[in-house]
Amino acid sequence: MYSPQAANHNLPVEPNRFIGRARDVEELCALFADERVVTLCGVGGIGKTRLALRVAERLVHRFPGGVRLVELARLTRADLVAKELAGVLGVREEGARPLADGLIENLRGARTLLVLDNCEHLVEACAELVARLVASCPDLRVLVTSREPLRIPQELIWRVPPLDLPDARRPDAESVLLFMERATAAGIRISLDVLPDVADLCVALDGLPLALELAAARTKVLSPRQIIDRIGDRFTLLTSGDRTAPARHRTLLATVQWSHDLLEEKEKALLHRLSVFPGDFDLAFAEQVCHDRHLLQHEVLDLLSGLVDKSLVIGEGERFRLLATIRQFAAERLAEAGESDRFAERHLREVLAVQARGLRVTFEEQRMERPDRLEAFQRASALVDDSRAALDWAIRAGDARAGIELCLIAAAPLAVAGDAAETADWLGLLLAMDVSAVDPSDLLMAKSFIAYGLEARDELRQARELAVEGVEGLRAGAYHFRLGVVYAIAVRVLLRLGEREASRRWLEELIERARAHADRFTLAAALLYRSTLALADSRLREAQRHVEEALRAAREHGHPWIIAQVSLQLGVLAEARGDLEAALGHLAAAVPLNEELDNRAELARVLSRSGRVAGQLGDFAAARRHLARSLALAKGTGQRLTIAHCLSALSVLAEKEGDLEGAVLTAAAVQRLRESVGQPASRARTDELMARARAELGDGRAAAMWAKGGELSPEEAAGRVLEQEHVSAVDPPPVRRRTVLTAREQEIASLLMRGLSNRAIGEELVISPATVARHIANIMDKLGFTSRAQIAVWAAEHDLGSA
Amino acid sequence: MFGPGFLSTVSGMDRVVAVDPGTGLPLTEAQLDAWTVAAVLRLRKRGVREGDAVLICLPTGTDLLVAVNAVIALGAVAMPLAYPPSPEAVHGVAARVMISDRPELAEESRVRVVVSPHELAG
Repeated sequence: MYSPQAANHNLPVEPNRFIGRARDVEELCALFADERVVTLCGVGGIGKTRLALRVAERLVHRFPGGVRLVELARLTRADLVAKELAGVLGVREEGARPLADGLIENLRGARTLLVLDNCEHLVEACAELVARLVASCPDLRVLVTSREPLRIPQELIWRVPPLDLPDARRPDAESVLLFMERATAAGIRISLDVLPDVADLCVALDGLPLALELAAARTKVLSPRQIIDRIGDRFTLLTSGDRTAPARHRTLLATVQWSHDLLEEKEKALLHRLSVFPGDFDLAFAEQVCHDRHLLQHEVLDLLSGLVDKSLVIGEGERFRLLATIRQFAAERLAEAGESDRFAERHLREVLAVQARGLRVTFEEQRMERPDRLEAFQRASALVDDSRAALDWAIRAGDARAGIELCLIAAAPLAVAGDAAETADWLGLLLAMDVSAVDPSDLLMAKSFIAYGLEARDELRQARELAVEGVEGLRAGAYHFRLGVVYAIAVRVLLRLGEREASRRWLEELIERARAHADRFTLAAALLYRSTLALADSRLREAQRHVEEALRAAREHGHPWIIAQVSLQLGVLAEARGDLEAALGHLAAAVPLNEELDNRAELARVLSRSGRVAGQLGDFAAARRHLARSLALAKGTGQRLTIAHCLSALSVLAEKEGDLEGAVLTAAAVQRLRESVGQPASRARTDELMARARAELGDGRAAAMWAKGGELSPEEAAGRVLEQEHVSAVDPPPVRRRTVLTAREQEIASLLMRGLSNRAIGEELVISPATVARHIANIMDKLGFTSRAQIAVWAAEHDLGSA
Repeated sequence: MFGPGFLSTVSGMDRVVAVDPGTGLPLTEAQLDAWTVAAVLRLRKRGVREGDAVLICLPTGTDLLVAVNAVIALGAVAMPLAYPPSPEAVHGVAARVMISDRPELAEESRVRVVVSPHELAG
């Protein structure tokens, strides 16, 4: 949920104690002083993710822009990488602009650390995106975990080794400590006389953390010696299979296989089936998807707890998940059993069921309490990963019918959450398949939903054709909620294209039918359009009448999204008739509703309008407050048009306050921003402002301010008027370390000035040339120099020659 | 005050200390000094500390000379390997850093960071 004081990171709490790797953590933290991208490489189970999270947690205080973890294991398609990152950062698509632009807008200007976890299956997409972001955002750092490096120029590859192994001198090596810690945490007491066996086990398991955890979880029933023997057997079996895999990988597989083989049959079956979940899941969903005649629904809880005890499943509160390595193993076993398709299908059906309930409770059922609607909406929205996986399966299985059905059901929450475009992408893929088994009315509806996605990306011409085809083909049928959506899409597209009459025709028909079926959500949305049309014709009183009727319907329905939309329109109308106080009140009512929905892009738009209205009222302090908040939200969600609106409002504000320079500066920034978005502003106000500025400031000064405003970033320009302390886009210049050289270093600096080589200096001082080289490196470190010549010059300037 | 080449015009810093058998290019005293210091700074940034072991696996040549010099200058322990190397040579070695143009050697070792000769000079 939205909170203004959002934590500066989204790192999970460590599930258990982190053992060892102290120097590694320290060195990795230090690397980020210079490195832009560090990739932790290594085989599965070697502990890349835990190390990355540990390092990230240590770095939180050094990244005021935040530390953001992006988990990629659950994604199956390369084009979802940017989307997932956008989801984590809260960036929304804005019209036709590529999502990466929004990401850059969000990441620009504040020191941010991104942690991209498990990139190996999407390495090319990650490499491309990271290279682009790093090039455009100078303060961005990226920590990657992957079995394969990204292979981009900015990357430092850091190979994660196994934990240190014990030997005669160090019996308490990291690997032993980890084993003991996990065994103890599981309530197992290891007697001192088996310590040599533990050491042998650590060596046999190559010091691999995941292998050690799996083994430790079994010491309740097996002694360390027994485990060594049994894994040894597994290992021989396995090596005969794949001799080319790296030794560490073979060790891990052998251990996973061994731990798996110890499970009871039902536990095995459940573990295999859990691999159909792309990300985390809760008990109820696992029960629904994984049960059958042999594994009953009520047994799932006990079996799942057993798997958690054996470290094969990770439990985090009420959610569960599988490590990537285990999930892959489990998926292979499910495939061997010939059950992959069956459970992928089951998963798809259950996702459909949950989404259908979400649609029903969120939108279709009339008169519900708002918290209930919100709860169902959030439950459905939380199923994004599962919905994507289910759609993937539908496409692989050639089941266009189920895929389309899921899109049509899931589209409504997605559209309200602001991403109609993704549904359109999926529907595009599905419609390209054999659709002979799909109900013709579903096909028409799918086209209509694609039109919605196209409209969101400003591709109005293509949207029009599909939207009109949809509504004309479907209107003869019986009314239901989604038919209302089809009407609304056509109304919206035609309205944006300026086809008022056609738009109005569908709108009137929609209002009549929605009213007849008491579909209050759609009725309220349609009445809002009616109000907008009346306002466009300057029929203010009529517009007001419609919005008031919309408000009644929206309140009766109770979904916060529709109430927020109505509040905004009430504000717009109040502003249009000059009742600024009332406008502020209505806009203020929309704020908590959008907060509740975590709809930050919409919240930014509401606040930018509030800022403008407060400015017109002469309440400059409130205007600044609203605009500052709107700017931050707009930047965070990557909405550059909203940023432009805020800057325009600030320009007007500055002019009112007599700050002509600030007004010109911000106006220039608006112009540049709008040009870069491809929506140039009208020149009328700017020309007027510049004429005034030239008269009062002089031609030269006015032109200089205009030029300067075009060079500033939007935040810098805004900061000029907001009079906030501007957060610098770059680090403060490093504090020059006090140039305290030791006596020996001064001596060497003076010899350098005389042009002596290391060898000659060494001879002079009776030390080795290598020691000279070290002293010179130390001098460079202290003075921040990069060449001997710089030292020589510095020595001359500081008169060290006489030393 | 000082031209860019001033250092090499005095005190025999343009004396050739080695000739690379691969490229045939000479290495002057001045170049050796400058590259060694640059390499020291680079290795330190990559986490090498006094007393650490550093694997060096390079063909005989000026890169090797610079690498060994830099590691010794850091107070670290240089562990040169025969070239071309056998993969087993790196197993079980506790070095955290390796200087080599063959990063794949590090796969089954405990090496964290591989520094290429190119990077060492930069």
